[in-house]
Amino acid sequence: MDWIGLYPTWYEPGVGSGWVVGIMATIHVLASHTSVGAAILFAYLAVLAYRRNQPQLLDYIRKYGMFLLVFSYVIGSITGPGIWFTTTVASPRGISALIHSFVWKWATEWVFFVIEVVGVYLVVYLAGRVDQRTHMRIAVIFGMASYTTMLIILGILSFMLVPGKEIWFTEGGYLNGFYGANTFAQLAMRTAFMFTMTAVVGGIVAARITDPAFKREISRKLAWLGIVSSLVGAALFQWYIRSLPETAHLVMDNRLPGYFQPAILTVLLGILAYFVMTLISSRTLVVWGASLATVSILLFGLWPEEVARESIRKPWVAGQYVYSNQIIGRDVPGMRIKSEIPLLESHGFLKTQVFLPDNLRVVTPDNMLKVGESLALTTCSNCHSLSNTGMRPLHSYFGNTTNVAEVEAYLRGALATGATLYMPMIPLKPEEAEALAVFIVNMKQPQAAIAHIQHKAALAQADPAATSAASFHEVR
Amino acid sequence: MNSAMLYALRDVAGVPSHPIVFLVLGVLTFALHIAAVHVMLGGTALALANAFSRNPMRRRLAAAMTTTAKIAVSVAVVLGVAPLLFVQVTYDPFWYTSNVLSAWWVVGFIVLLIAGYMALYFFYGRNHDLADPQHPVRSGWSLLASLALFLLVGFIMHVLTNQMLSPDKWMQWYAPNGVIDPRGHTLHDYNAWRFGFFIALAAPVTGAWLYAYRRYLAAGRQADAAYLQWVGALAGKMLTIGGIASLALLAGWMATLPPVISGFATSPVVLLSVALLLLTVALPSLLGKRTLQTSLGYAPLAAGTVALIAVATLRELLRWTVLKGVHGYDVFTYPIHMDWYSNVLFFATFALIGGTTLAYFLSIAWKVGHTPQGQIYTPSPAIDRIGTVSLWLIGLWIVQFFVVGFVVWAR
Repeated sequence: MDWIGLYPTWYEPGVGSGWVVGIMATIHVLASHTSVGAAILFAYLAVLAYRRNQPQLLDYIRKYGMFLLVFSYVIGSITGPGIWFTTTVASPRGISALIHSFVWKWATEWVFFVIEVVGVYLVVYLAGRVDQRTHMRIAVIFGMASYTTMLIILGILSFMLVPGKEIWFTEGGYLNGFYGANTFAQLAMRTAFMFTMTAVVGGIVAARITDPAFKREISRKLAWLGIVSSLVGAALFQWYIRSLPETAHLVMDNRLPGYFQPAILTVLLGILAYFVMTLISSRTLVVWGASLATVSILLFGLWPEEVARESIRKPWVAGQYVYSNQIIGRDVPGMRIKSEIPLLESHGFLKTQVFLPDNLRVVTPDNMLKVGESLALTTCSNCHSLSNTGMRPLHSYFGNTTNVAEVEAYLRGALATGATLYMPMIPLKPEEAEALAVFIVNMKQPQAAIAHIQHKAALAQADPAATSAASFHEVR
Repeated sequence: MNSAMLYALRDVAGVPSHPIVFLVLGVLTFALHIAAVHVMLGGTALALANAFSRNPMRRRLAAAMTTTAKIAVSVAVVLGVAPLLFVQVTYDPFWYTSNVLSAWWVVGFIVLLIAGYMALYFFYGRNHDLADPQHPVRSGWSLLASLALFLLVGFIMHVLTNQMLSPDKWMQWYAPNGVIDPRGHTLHDYNAWRFGFFIALAAPVTGAWLYAYRRYLAAGRQADAAYLQWVGALAGKMLTIGGIASLALLAGWMATLPPVISGFATSPVVLLSVALLLLTVALPSLLGKRTLQTSLGYAPLAAGTVALIAVATLRELLRWTVLKGVHGYDVFTYPIHMDWYSNVLFFATFALIGGTTLAYFLSIAWKVGHTPQGQIYTPSPAIDRIGTVSLWLIGLWIVQFFVVGFVVWAR
């Protein structure tokens, strides 16, 4: 019999592993999008400085760059690998799927990342130490290299949601997985919004400019950048929505939190109002105001966006073939990938899972609760918290029932057959479904779970042979 | 954990090139990464050791090393991305398991590294006049915190790498006595000799770096003879004492190898590493004053880099030997789904764009460093041409991205 190559499970009871990834990703998106947008803004300002002989623009580049060295090139450059680290522990087969398909894309991005990091130091520290034309050229190279990092990562992010072309499933091919409508829609939308972030964060630096005329000039540039990019980004968001697969639309219609759309709209309008205000009067551009706008984007724009991005992938976590609980859920002939569902249907999780102690491979009344917990860890905890806090607590999805048989019926029915929208197909064997049901009921009402276990123990004592034949299985 | 289980953990998509390609790239990029880590650690330690002195030379070095360490962290992070990528491709069963088993620390690694880096920036921001012994040092605690945090994140990374090599202990770590503990709160396994070796190497590597720093200052006539002599003496001490200490720790590490593979301790790669480290240590004595007066001042750093490549090879071969010899896992049997386009695109980008752009950037940075303060540096036509080529190549890369993308999309 084959093994299912599931890794051990990391479970974080406070917020859940998914939210740890989400927090890391949200911070990284703000820092990295700002830096890419700023790199292009620097290139534009450096060209202006050269053509109009305006060295004070270089001073602004230098100061904004110094700020970015901490904001983006400490926090951003560390949270980038940080997403790898957190997804590694929260969803190892999900990140592995991306790495193994796109290792060379990531390696290519790394080349540009090296150029970007060296470039930012040169742009910041060589302003005023090399001739303006050279500084302009360095800034342009830095801006272009920076943008290529975005080009590359967007294809991978799109693949996470859905492979670029449907034929990727049958024919494989890295290009078919990378390029598609969603790749370009997402790229266009993020390109626009990255300038919005650049304009907002750039305000923190511009607010400190002491020369009123120069402050007015920079303030107006940032305001126009922010207004145009916000409006264009909002329009491109519609294209992005239309490029999403049907499953994503179903999740959006049914499962996204109620605050998602109002939050996005409020942030957009708020940011627009903020830019209009700073456009009218540069005196309104103050450090605390720009900082507040930055935090607002982080909390009310990017966080809901990241949560939504995670939700609309359901039931998949990568490429529409790795389920969110790490099981390979469909055949991908183009990559010679076989679904693991048939093996699970034949032998169940307990017999095939690599990381399971032998004392939990056979269900008995004594270990039923622990087996249920291990199954909950494996099959549920990626998306559902097993405690009262965190992401989508598992126990709250079964109404008021504390009846093990009712929960088990759902697990063996809608869940095991894959009939629940946005949920993976989880083909539990009968004894596995029972153990998981006991664990779920135990979270809601321990007495009910204990009563069920005692009932099973009594049955086993009364007729050990029958119980053994029905429930016990040989340890492999 | 038998080998069938280990093979089951492999990614079902296979790898898009032969595993040897990833292993070689992993070795090379790890060597560069660990060199930056050593300079980061050595630079921070030197800054800490000299920042509180009233001696102008020591304060000047502390200021230079604070700046050096600050940049070295950036370089270490960016260069560390590549070996992290490649280890996930080839040794995914081991890397992912080790990470999940200590997940709390894996997340902590990021938080602590950011804290350490911020602490270093904080110290830098508070002490712009550090080179001036008349100015008091502010917030020295942040420099100490920075070094402590860097060592801690280094230890976490060491444990994650070490735990990879013990699949036989994984189940006991995950489910001690049959009870699953999914919290990932524990760092399970470490090898003090191995960790000590990689940390101790910071001394000779920074010593070699100081020789290069001294030569750079001398060539640009940016320091007096007394300072250059003092830096040279310090570099020599760090190289010699640190080098010998490192070799002693390497011997201790090799003595802890499992009996089945104990012969690895005297294998050619270990002997070559020892020879190259000894050569690096001895080189300044062999070259004498030429390390100050000629470009041979950069030779210890070059030799040290080659020695680090040998050490990185040793580390990779040991991993292969342990996993194959002790646990029956052969990385070279990983199924290959060759993808020529992405292979060619990477190597072309790496060689052409990486090569020209970094050549352009580093040439300018080098020359600016030798340009007296207050003067504007204008590159020569030759350097300018490299910049033009770089600009065009990146532009072409972006064009091909969209052309290929639109063709695929429209198909």
